[in-house]
Amino acid sequence: MTLTRTLIVAIAAGALLSGCASGAKYGEVASSFPALNPSHGRIYFYRPSAFGAAVQPDIRLNGEKVGTAKPHGFYFVDRAPGNYEVAAATETEKKLTFTLAPREERYVRLKIQMGLMVGRIVPELVDKDEAESDLKTLSYIAEPLK
Amino acid sequence: MVRRGFAATLTAVALVACAPEVSRRPTSFTPLADPPAETIEVLQDQKVSVGLGYDRVVRRGTPWTRIGRCAEGDVYRPVGRVFTVEGAHVHEAYLVLAGDRLVGFYLPVEHAFAPVRDAPITLSIRRRPS
Repeated sequence: MTLTRTLIVAIAAGALLSGCASGAKYGEVASSFPALNPSHGRIYFYRPSAFGAAVQPDIRLNGEKVGTAKPHGFYFVDRAPGNYEVAAATETEKKLTFTLAPREERYVRLKIQMGLMVGRIVPELVDKDEAESDLKTLSYIAEPLK
Repeated sequence: MVRRGFAATLTAVALVACAPEVSRRPTSFTPLADPPAETIEVLQDQKVSVGLGYDRVVRRGTPWTRIGRCAEGDVYRPVGRVFTVEGAHVHEAYLVLAGDRLVGFYLPVEHAFAPVRDAPITLSIRRRPS
């Protein structure tokens, strides 16, 4: 009985973790990121929680897919200054709108929220201090479109 | 008892899923000709709302700099911080003040003004000239 329970827990944990990002941590790779072009801004996307790990919708920036909402992972894109809209298509779509200035860094946290049938991803704009604290334990996704 | 709890949970989830859009109207924004301008510091936490179920707190100690004006008042952007309002979607937002009164928010992407629900709210602020 105990063995069966242990197996079930191990399988469940394995299934949960297999859906999570597992690359190098932020602290190990941040210094190697390419310098930001002064005429562009940088937008980081990250999902700190593994809760609802099965829900990994595409993340779209002004309609263009830039990655997915992979638990415990982060990635970034560089873009020209302007207005941006982040959308994650789940049960219901919650969008985030913000501006991006030259040399500016923006941080978008992808939060899982309970929906009627399944979880959904809510993009949040967060302060740099808070984001850097969150990012410490997350893994870099070098190729978020793969 | 369990049924009541389940029903309450379902209702809460349904309300979140069906949140209304942030109430807003188009406005014209005129940026300051010669920034940087006056900065204000909020001296006391102030809870604000632009819609049902989504409160925000204008945090004590956060500096905001005046970046321009819209029809409803002076527009202040947070310095080194971000601020958003939320309804069906989440929008970056700047304070709109008429004197020391918070009348609403300027949404820079939507070029719109979103009034606070219990407007106007008198903020406790300290002004720092440029």
